[in-house]
Amino acid sequence: MTAQDSIRSTPVTRMVSLAGTGAQVGLNYLKHYGRRALGNATDTLDEENAGAIFKTFSELKGGPLKLAQMLSIDQNLLPAAYARTFAQAQHSAPPLSYPLVARTFRREFGRDPHELFDAFTREAVHGASIGQVHRARKGGRELAVKVQYPGVAESLQSDLRIVKPFALQILGLRESDIADYFREVESKLLEETDYVRERRNAEEISAACRHIPGVRFAAYLPELCTAKILTMDWVDGETLDRFADGPAGQDERDRVGQALWDFYHHQVHEMRVFHADPHPGNFVIRDGEVWVLDFGCTKEIDAAFYERQFRFVDPGLLHDDAALMAALEDMDVVLEGDSAADRARVVASCRRWLGLLARPFHAGRFDFGDESFLREIYELGEESRKDNVLRTLRGRRGSPDTIYVNRAFFGLYSLLSRLRARVNVRMPDFVAGRLAA
Amino acid sequence: METRERLLSAYRDHLLEHGGPPASVFKFTRDLGLEERAFFAEFPNFDALESEMWRGLVARVAGAVVAGPEWAGFTSRQRLLTFLFAFCEESLAWRSLLLQRVERCGPIPRPARLRGLELGFKEFIGPVIEHGHATGEIAERGMLREASPEAFFLHFRAVVDFHLKDASSGYERTDAFIEKSVALAFDLLRTQAFDSALDFAKFVFARPA
Repeated sequence: MTAQDSIRSTPVTRMVSLAGTGAQVGLNYLKHYGRRALGNATDTLDEENAGAIFKTFSELKGGPLKLAQMLSIDQNLLPAAYARTFAQAQHSAPPLSYPLVARTFRREFGRDPHELFDAFTREAVHGASIGQVHRARKGGRELAVKVQYPGVAESLQSDLRIVKPFALQILGLRESDIADYFREVESKLLEETDYVRERRNAEEISAACRHIPGVRFAAYLPELCTAKILTMDWVDGETLDRFADGPAGQDERDRVGQALWDFYHHQVHEMRVFHADPHPGNFVIRDGEVWVLDFGCTKEIDAAFYERQFRFVDPGLLHDDAALMAALEDMDVVLEGDSAADRARVVASCRRWLGLLARPFHAGRFDFGDESFLREIYELGEESRKDNVLRTLRGRRGSPDTIYVNRAFFGLYSLLSRLRARVNVRMPDFVAGRLAA
Repeated sequence: METRERLLSAYRDHLLEHGGPPASVFKFTRDLGLEERAFFAEFPNFDALESEMWRGLVARVAGAVVAGPEWAGFTSRQRLLTFLFAFCEESLAWRSLLLQRVERCGPIPRPARLRGLELGFKEFIGPVIEHGHATGEIAERGMLREASPEAFFLHFRAVVDFHLKDASSGYERTDAFIEKSVALAFDLLRTQAFDSALDFAKFVFARPA
């Protein structure tokens, strides 16, 4: 099955670019459905604050073409690059009108918002990935109410259908090579349209991570949650990007960074279910603690895949040609039909990638404030992308599960770099055990 | 029940059960145990009766939304949206009848039997447009002022047609259609875009004498 399908990217750049793709599709999806917080009403500080908190979300828009653009490996391989794109102002579509919000409430609860809450903003305070957020109050409790755009699942599917041929064209890929990845991305995006699932994910992960110092979760009001509407506590504070760009001291940055790292470490290595959308807008900092918002996109990996993926952080592997080759074959990154020269090239490329991406794990304590780290990743990405031998390798390589694992780690690295945090990094237990032996 | 109400209700049932109007007023009234003249005291013919049935439907929906607690605080755009969503909701109880009587004829031509839709809607939209003028949501249009209710009615018919053809789950596509088309309409109405287009068209097509 490897022979006739020509593909133009390396196994590793493709793993990476598709990780980027995962991220980009997700981000773009935000862009497509995120809605500009309407109105120039900045009468009160609250509204101004709310507007600021979700500014990133709310400026994001874009159509299928933008999505295709995002899928391109040319620009958007890496977090640094996607952050730039992400920050660009996009053209805007109008937010949902209040009557349509009210209609959604009547459909879900049989009652209007003003009957369910003591106060409910008619205008959305900001857009969410596939809906918009209104601020409300009930019994003295400040609430955020997320209302899903009607028909969003359907339009999402049609958008992806429109985008797919563009994406294949731009990436220079064959549909058969990439089908698994597309299916993975599509199913994840569709999952995000199910708010019942989102709440279940959020409650599961927050219950399991409650013990981690410095990480907090907003509580839901189950009686006001359905598949289309989510009601939770309103969290005041600064989004992670604003916090990072603000005047916070090094100690505080390290604490926030460590909380984030521990949060992901626990999810990935203990739970094997993780928040797969580490976008700065999804984290709010209040009193030095990280509040995690939006569990729309979570990824579960099985034990077998987990070990196959994370044994690559073992530094011993980098110096053991036979073991590295075996591990890459096992991940279908190196295929049986590859020539010896191709194999050598792939292994050399992978070794450089792994050495770089696993560097925080090898260091034990890592300073993400070191700008050279992300720059090196970016430069290696560029170099691999331009390597014609790697580009012309054939076949379907790697596992679609890597998309969201990579998305989470690239996202996390990017957040930590932005924070300029110094973080204690632990090896996964099974690798640490092997190293000790 | 008053005769008028009985006639309206019996006519609706007949349409639903038989897929069309009764063979004659004579047959219709005899089945109701009424004299034929009792019918003509209320309506000149079936078309007028049916028209009244549709006007009543639109007027009931309009009455309910106008009486809502939030109505006074709504912009005219929100008022129109609220009405259209409420109409679609209410029309679920009328869908079979609407499919039978409305779907096959587009917005134009307008058979006499459907005139009530137009009458009822225009009674509703008049004050909404006035409100829009007052709030500045709808530009004062000079010569096009009289055409506004007509334009809104055509839009309403387009919504009804869309709703009847919609096969999406929960008719969510109709919601999107309403939302987007009303947004577009009010964006156009806020400016003089229509007027400017008309002015330009007159300039291009008018032949100097």
